[in-house]
Amino acid sequence: MNTSNSELVLDAQDVAIHYGGVKAVDGVALSLRKGQIHGLIGPNGAGKSTVIDAITGRVPLTRGKVLLGGVDVTALGPTQRRLRGLSRSFQRTSIFTQMMVRQQVELASYKMGVADSGADADAILEELDLMHLSHAVAADLGYGEQRRLDLALALVGGPAVLLLDEPMAGLSVKESHDLAKHLQALTSRWDVSVLLVEHDMDVVFGISDVVTVFELGRVIATGDPAAVRADPRVRTAYLGSAA
Amino acid sequence: MSIQRMGLSTAIALALGAGVALGGSANLLSLLTQAIIYAVFAIGVGLLLRQNGMVSFGHALFFGSAGYIVGILLQLKAMPAEAVILVTLLALTAIAFLMGLVIVRVPGIAFGMLTLAIGQMFYLTASRSRGLTGGADGMGIDWPSTLFGVEMSKLVKPDMMFLICWVTLVGVMLLLALLLRTRFGSISEAVRDNEERARFIGIRTLLPRAAVYALSATVTGVAGLLSALNTGFVSPENLHWSLSGVTLMMVVVGGYRVLWGPALGAVVYFLAKDILGHYADHWMAIFGTILIVVIVFSPTGIAGAMAKLVRGKSQPGALAKTLGH
Repeated sequence: MNTSNSELVLDAQDVAIHYGGVKAVDGVALSLRKGQIHGLIGPNGAGKSTVIDAITGRVPLTRGKVLLGGVDVTALGPTQRRLRGLSRSFQRTSIFTQMMVRQQVELASYKMGVADSGADADAILEELDLMHLSHAVAADLGYGEQRRLDLALALVGGPAVLLLDEPMAGLSVKESHDLAKHLQALTSRWDVSVLLVEHDMDVVFGISDVVTVFELGRVIATGDPAAVRADPRVRTAYLGSAA
Repeated sequence: MSIQRMGLSTAIALALGAGVALGGSANLLSLLTQAIIYAVFAIGVGLLLRQNGMVSFGHALFFGSAGYIVGILLQLKAMPAEAVILVTLLALTAIAFLMGLVIVRVPGIAFGMLTLAIGQMFYLTASRSRGLTGGADGMGIDWPSTLFGVEMSKLVKPDMMFLICWVTLVGVMLLLALLLRTRFGSISEAVRDNEERARFIGIRTLLPRAAVYALSATVTGVAGLLSALNTGFVSPENLHWSLSGVTLMMVVVGGYRVLWGPALGAVVYFLAKDILGHYADHWMAIFGTILIVVIVFSPTGIAGAMAKLVRGKSQPGALAKTLGH
């Protein structure tokens, strides 16, 4: 998909998050164009999840700003950003365990201001193959199903930007591949742009339009997947040590 | 539970109450009256735990305050007693909501300690302010000779008092069951289950938490009013943390996942107190053992164990469904 010239939906500029003397993230720029899947990789502790937290407003920025569709949202809290179309999933499955599947998706849809929240919930459940579990309590679902429910909650209300924090974590190889294919289809069908943090290299390089590599809170390479893969710094810093 | 089943349960409960009121001895009725007042109290405490996941060690604050506010307002003779009852409940709800906006932000055990501290603050204030509250001796509540058009002498008869309390209990449970079916019920459940995720689906989480806290205080206040009517007296003991603790025991024994669990716990507590009290001075030691057994073998309380028996263990999700919905 050629998305290199499309509209900028998310633009994080010079983002820094310092915890006392620790620079978890230090001067990172990340942007996402409409319809893109942007992969974000890096070793553990590189600051990937922290950047997601910063973009979604979960942790305050030490420096920098976040633009959503050209509007500065740096001062807004997570709820406000979500209402403006910035959604996320969580590294650790984050669902409402004691509620029924459809009940929680429908509630999310209602809170996002969707007129027909019931129909919206059904469409999302259908999309993520959760329809048959509508009336199951979330705690009783299998792990893969819970991950899909997490994704369903993030998709509610048709967000413009979806930040996925290791959506494949804990899934089997087959499940990961299915989800990857699904994500690609979703991006065009639901008109959503995705920032994908993931450890599974095959998945990231397979479905991303752009890949950014993090190390120690900084960006060391960004661009076309093939070019990033060939970058010598990336090979030594990350791919080399992981392989 | 469907609306039809709710209506049927209410009708059965009311008929049962009428039957007991007609057939019960004065002794039994006054014991049950006390149990039911505490059942309403426990439902208030249980509601906070069920909908907010928060444990309060200071709900006696609302139980005792209801009595004090009624007593003081009646003394002032500024308005009719019916209005006093309404004003008391509204005042308690408003105060609890404002308190809730501050204290529900504090997580876990710290929240419990905070409720304990605030409760004890009022306990000490009531114990020391002899002029206003009668101090440690407590104060008599000067009910008028008629209330809601009924003579007070008739109201305080054991059968009538039992019936008033029973109907109030059933009414409170019905209203809560209906309220929890609404959007408010789902929102508060979502916030309880996962506050962070709730924020990320566009829920502002503070207001629902404060609202649940206020609602649980209102219910507890209703129990305080019933107690004030039943005994015509209020003392600092009604504000003491140990009372909050005993109510919490009822909630745990009965089970808080279902609305009626805490009420069942209250009835079990008073029956145990009456029956065991005949045989042992330190009956609390026996009740304590019951508490431990329940916590170990059925953390969801007697109500949870009953739901498990009825629905069967093998069906996945059956228990959670029974308990949660």
